[in-house]
Amino acid sequence: MGHSDNTILEFREVAFSYTRGNGFIEALSFSIKTGEFIGLLGANGSGKSTILKLGSGILKASSGDVRLWGRPIHSYRHKDRAKLLSYLPQILDMNIPFTVEELVGMGLYPYDTPPELNIDQAIEMVGLGEHRTTPLKNLSGGERRRAYIAMTLLQGAGLLLLDEPLANLDIKYQIELLRLLRDLRARRDIAIVMALHDINMALQFEKIMLIRQGRILGTGTPEVILTRDSIREAFDIEVEIKRDSEGPYMMYQIIS
Amino acid sequence: MMRIRLSLAVIFAMVVLVTALFIGPEPINPLHIKGIDKEILLSIRLPRVLVSVLMGMGLGASGAVLQGVLRNPLADPYILGLSSGAALMAVVGIISGLTFWGAFTVPLLAFIGALTTGVFVGAMGWKRGGFWPDRLLLAGVGLGFLFSAILMLIMTLSSDEGLRRATLWIFGDLSMTDWAFIPYGTIFILAGLLLSLSRAKALNALILGDELSHSLGFSPRRERLILFISIGLMTSASVSLGGMVGFIGLLIPHIGRFIIGPDSRGLIPLSALGGGVLLCIADLIGRSIIAPVELPAGIITAIIGAPYFLYLLRRRDILGT
Repeated sequence: MGHSDNTILEFREVAFSYTRGNGFIEALSFSIKTGEFIGLLGANGSGKSTILKLGSGILKASSGDVRLWGRPIHSYRHKDRAKLLSYLPQILDMNIPFTVEELVGMGLYPYDTPPELNIDQAIEMVGLGEHRTTPLKNLSGGERRRAYIAMTLLQGAGLLLLDEPLANLDIKYQIELLRLLRDLRARRDIAIVMALHDINMALQFEKIMLIRQGRILGTGTPEVILTRDSIREAFDIEVEIKRDSEGPYMMYQIIS
Repeated sequence: MMRIRLSLAVIFAMVVLVTALFIGPEPINPLHIKGIDKEILLSIRLPRVLVSVLMGMGLGASGAVLQGVLRNPLADPYILGLSSGAALMAVVGIISGLTFWGAFTVPLLAFIGALTTGVFVGAMGWKRGGFWPDRLLLAGVGLGFLFSAILMLIMTLSSDEGLRRATLWIFGDLSMTDWAFIPYGTIFILAGLLLSLSRAKALNALILGDELSHSLGFSPRRERLILFISIGLMTSASVSLGGMVGFIGLLIPHIGRFIIGPDSRGLIPLSALGGGVLLCIADLIGRSIIAPVELPAGIITAIIGAPYFLYLLRRRDILGT
């Protein structure tokens, strides 16, 4: 469990509870290395958001250690941490007064000298080039989410913790966002952890972490992790996994 | 773009201030200042114009900051109860005729009342190591009701002359201004203004929510504390200088947002300028229109400001809905 050079984020025996004495997460350990793109898969209430909030330092572990580049995450100054890690919550306030450009520009707040990407490039990357000066409240739900994603990209951190970023996006933009993030990871060697609840989307990932009640049921490729048994345990459903030339896909059957 | 608009606003504000010095119940010819005019200019008009500008700046800027901190466009600095605390203490001072510190007595009492209330509201809104916007708001509203009730009780039981002066004060009375107020008003209002300007980026981030502020490198708790202190300084100093002038803290930031957009780096200074200019004009009208009788500036700000705001509300999308 020692810290190796390319480990960005590490959970060591992390415990956390929302109400005193009622442990939600107990002794959770895992690590994320540079270049990894991990899908955090689990049902609603399985602890995906809690894990991402612990990882970003929004929540504090009641025991154990969350380490960013080998140092306890709370030992960083807020501004320094923001250059290394950015977090995008699942619930985004859509009724804010800013334009796309103003919102995306906030990604530069941690910096005194701006990083490589500029505001216009970030906006282009998420396909909002025509809406630069549009107030956020005049955009569709999916466009707003893409604006927030552009802000996160502009922040230029080496680790992105994204809580259900695909929610409210049309399938086209889900695929495009995944492609964009993969491309970004390949070019800049960043690590991405993305919470998901859609099993078919999880099949697109090289590595997934399956979560249930704050525990990791398994980590690895979807082929290895997503078995009939593990999915029954995580989601309480019966599935059939089929394959064709394009790859595997799921057939769902609800069990009572 | 933001710089240009702010520069224009500064120039406009300067023109208004200089104009306000020379017009009034006794117009003064700026090219030909006689002995008595010089006296009026230096010992009456100049301090009065400066005090009105300072007060307006404090109210406009604290309104812009508070609406961001509470993420509520309906927030007014007076909603935190600071003004009720100030009014209670000031009216006690006026009615009981306290003069232990000369002309400074009533402002000092008001300032103490506002700051004490601010600390109390802050303590009520503080839980688990941070401010909770809803708790702050409700604590302010609750305390405000209590203080208003006590204030009304005192006023009901008091003599006519005290009552008249107390009523004037409550609606914003600048007729008692004095040079002595200016250094003190300047220090507190500028301190609050600079403090909030230095946290303008953090305020923008807070508008996105606590989790995103954290991700962007700010501690929401610490930022809210700093911003609350800046609001407390500006509101307390403003109210103590000349009473409760309504409208500015609530509506100037909306007008500012319409002119310069929601970015706090432009909105805070513009709201300060707008508040200063509006109160200066309102006071000029109040002291000239039926001279020698003076109308409280707060009445004028509401009478000229509210219709303009309602017009904007109909014509433009300023509430974001």
